[in-house]
This record gives sequence, C-alpha cells and structure tokens, in this order.
Amino acid sequence: MLKIADLGQFVIDGDEQGIIDHVNLLIEAKTDPIAIINEGLLSGMNVVGEKFKNGDMFVPEVLMAARAMNAGMAIVKPLIADQDMPSLGTIVIGTVKGDLHDIGKNLVVMMLESAGFKVVDLGIDAKVEQFVAAVKEHKADIVGMSAMLTTTMTYMQEVIKACQDEGLSVKYLVGGAPLSPAYSEKLGAIYAADASGAVDTAKALTA
Amino acid sequence: MIIIGEKINGSIPAVKTAIENRDAAFIADRAVKQTAAGAHFIDVCASTAPEYEVETLKWLIDVVQDVTDTPLCIDSPNPRVIEAVFKYANKPGMLNSISEEGDKCDVLLPLMAGNTWEVVGLTCDDRGIPNNLETKLDITKIMVEKADKYGITPDRIHIDPCVMALSTENNSMLNFAEEIRSIKALFPTIHVTGAISNISFGLPVRGLINKTAMAFAIQAGMDSAVMDPLNREMRETIFATYALLGQDKHCRKYSKAFRAGQIGSVGNK
Repeated sequence: MLKIADLGQFVIDGDEQGIIDHVNLLIEAKTDPIAIINEGLLSGMNVVGEKFKNGDMFVPEVLMAARAMNAGMAIVKPLIADQDMPSLGTIVIGTVKGDLHDIGKNLVVMMLESAGFKVVDLGIDAKVEQFVAAVKEHKADIVGMSAMLTTTMTYMQEVIKACQDEGLSVKYLVGGAPLSPAYSEKLGAIYAADASGAVDTAKALTA
Repeated sequence: MIIIGEKINGSIPAVKTAIENRDAAFIADRAVKQTAAGAHFIDVCASTAPEYEVETLKWLIDVVQDVTDTPLCIDSPNPRVIEAVFKYANKPGMLNSISEEGDKCDVLLPLMAGNTWEVVGLTCDDRGIPNNLETKLDITKIMVEKADKYGITPDRIHIDPCVMALSTENNSMLNFAEEIRSIKALFPTIHVTGAISNISFGLPVRGLINKTAMAFAIQAGMDSAVMDPLNREMRETIFATYALLGQDKHCRKYSKAFRAGQIGSVGNK
C-alpha cells in the first residue's frame, strides 16, 4: 500500500516520473490533495533543504528535486481551491534596478517555493514601482531583494523607503555578494547569506 | 596564458577587512606574491559602498604600485569610478570592464585612445547575459566596432563570454568552448578571457571542476584568465595543457616549470 510519506523519497531522488506516477495513484485512491502537498512533497523538500544546508546535496540535485516536486504540485494544484492552498506566506522578490544577475536569486526563489511560500518573482532590473505594486496586489508578507554590485545594492534603500511611504507593512529580506549583515541592518532588512539561509530567515519572519 | 590576478578584491572577506583597516602590508603582500607567481596584471577591486569606492580604489592602486611594476587591472562595475582613478595608474594596464550595459563603452573607450591600455569586454547588455551564442557574438562585434573608432585594435580587447554555472546549465562548458571558438574565428587576434571558477558554483570539489574546465577552455582558444595565480593545481594544469596541445615545443616550459619547483609535488626539487 502506497503511503503519502513515500513521496518524499521520490522528491529527494529527483525522480520526476516516480512523483507523477505515485501522485496520480494517491489521487485515484482519494487521498487528500493538501496532505499530498504537506506530508509528501513539502516534507521531502524539507529534507532536501537540510541536506543542501549541510553540504550533503548540491545545486544540480536540488534543482532536480524541485523539478520533481513541481511536477507533483502541477497535478494536485487544480484539485485545491485557491484559498485552501497551504502557504507559509507570500514573498515578492527581485534583483534590483540596474542589476542583471539572477542565478542566486533564482535559486532562492526555487528554495522558497519548495519550502511552501508563494513567491512573486519580478525577475531582474526590478524597479521601486514594481515592488510596491506587487506587494499591494499580492498582499505580500516579505520583500526579497538581490544585488550583486556595490553600485546597485544602494537601490534597496529606495525600495524600502517607498514601501514605508505607502504604509505597507512588510519585512525585508536581502542578499547578494556585496551585502553584509551590518549593511542590511542599516537598511532595516535581514541578511541571508545563501538560499537555505533565505528559507530559514523567511520562515522566522513569517512565524 | 595571460593571467589577471584576482586576489585583491574587496568582496573577499580578508581583503575587505584589510581595506577597512587600511592595512597596506596585507594588500602589498598579495601584490608581491601574485607578481612572483607570474601574474601579468593585478586586478584591484574595492567592492565598497559607492561613496567610498574612488578613494578606496586610489588607495589600493597606490599600495600595489609601491611594491610592484606589474600593470594594474582597474576593476569596478561603475565606469565613472574607473574614469576617476585612471590618472593614478603610472603605466598602462587594463580596464575591467566594458560591456553593452549602459554607457560603459562611451565612458571608458576614450580613455584608451593613443595609448596601450587593454580592456575586458563582457558579452552582456542591458538585458543581462544572453543565453545564446549569436547575441554574445553580436555584442562582441559592437564592442570591437566602438573600440575601433578610438584606434583600439582587437588585440587590446579581452572578451569575457561570461561562463555560466554547470550546476544550473548542463551544457555550460560546451557552450563556453563554442563561444571561445566562435569569437576567435571572428577576430583571430582578440583575447578571450574569463573567471573560470564561476563554472563550479554549487558543486563540491570546485577546484577539480575548475582546472578541468581550464584545460577544455585552453583547447578551445582561451588565452587569458581572471584567476588566483598562486593556485598551484591550476598552474600545473595550464602547463600540462599547453604541452599536450603541442603548444609547448619539446615540452620545454613544462620541464622548466618542474625544475623551478612550479609544478609537481612541493619539495620534489
């Protein structure tokens, strides 16, 4: 008898076909789709996040795991009403204006989604207006900003000021090579050193 | 292989601390050691907040020029910072970098008219790093044409095709090799450079990936690199690769490097 918890191993193995087959079997057996997400897909991804943090799994394997998880999500999502979708919170994220680097930011997006956050990705070169509009539209809990250049990281200040001027109550999560915990604190933001750190910080901020 | 020494960069934590404490001895030591290890250019990058970048870069330039004659590679994402400190270099070196982003070419190329300064050209533009060969070649052509207007010949340009991480792009090495070959085919005298260590992002034993990638890149025609000249394994791979490709006649450089203790186990000689 197939159990929901068995899905986790398929996620960890990055076995996309295995996930598709077994999620379909579980649905035929009238399993609760929300349980499939929480107890199967996300719990597998949590193990992946831990292993990644501890240096036991690496970026390509994490990407495979995320792909497998998303394949499962695509099957169960249509079965769940929007308001019932489990979510840890909503994060609007982007690489700030003038900056075109997105490898790290994309990894953070993937890890946050895999951890159970709803992520609104503004992509690269994201401007103040885009952040403000997206926070309002999606009622975001957190604004995530990435910068790889000393010339662009200062733009984060403008985003934070604009959100404050609009009276938006959000937390700020920042990262990227030129940033430091001290600089981030000065901005009024929390610094995350890498993708798994971003997940831990986002969880703490929405707890 | 033209080696651009990367060890004086404010994004390295120990260097950042040295910059904050204005620890000239620490910076000078890195300049001297990179020179001794065969660096052709010494990269200086402040990586500070923008308001301190010019004064920090000037300080780095002064400290490095005090202890070595190796030309500088002046490195900033902001072309106006490079423009501001350009006059403090006491001999021609390299500017790092132009690209088709913003007005970088318009600010930096005029500085290179009528002298022998060289420049790194990144194949990216206001849309980011292209994910296809054609766009990277188009950007290369545009930069070469713009440089030509100031009398800058392709042999003074080091094109960096921006190698992607293998962990997120499974064909990154194959694409990089194809880019190197295509750029060299377009402009035979141009240099192709790169920060090869980007390729190993997210993988274990990064040094192993890096040096193996270096061998493939050299075979494809890369002849310039932003690297740590003190990285012994990388240096060994470079010597071995040139010998294996028949570009080191009678393996003389390889053999000499061994006798000089530059390759092989430490203390073997």
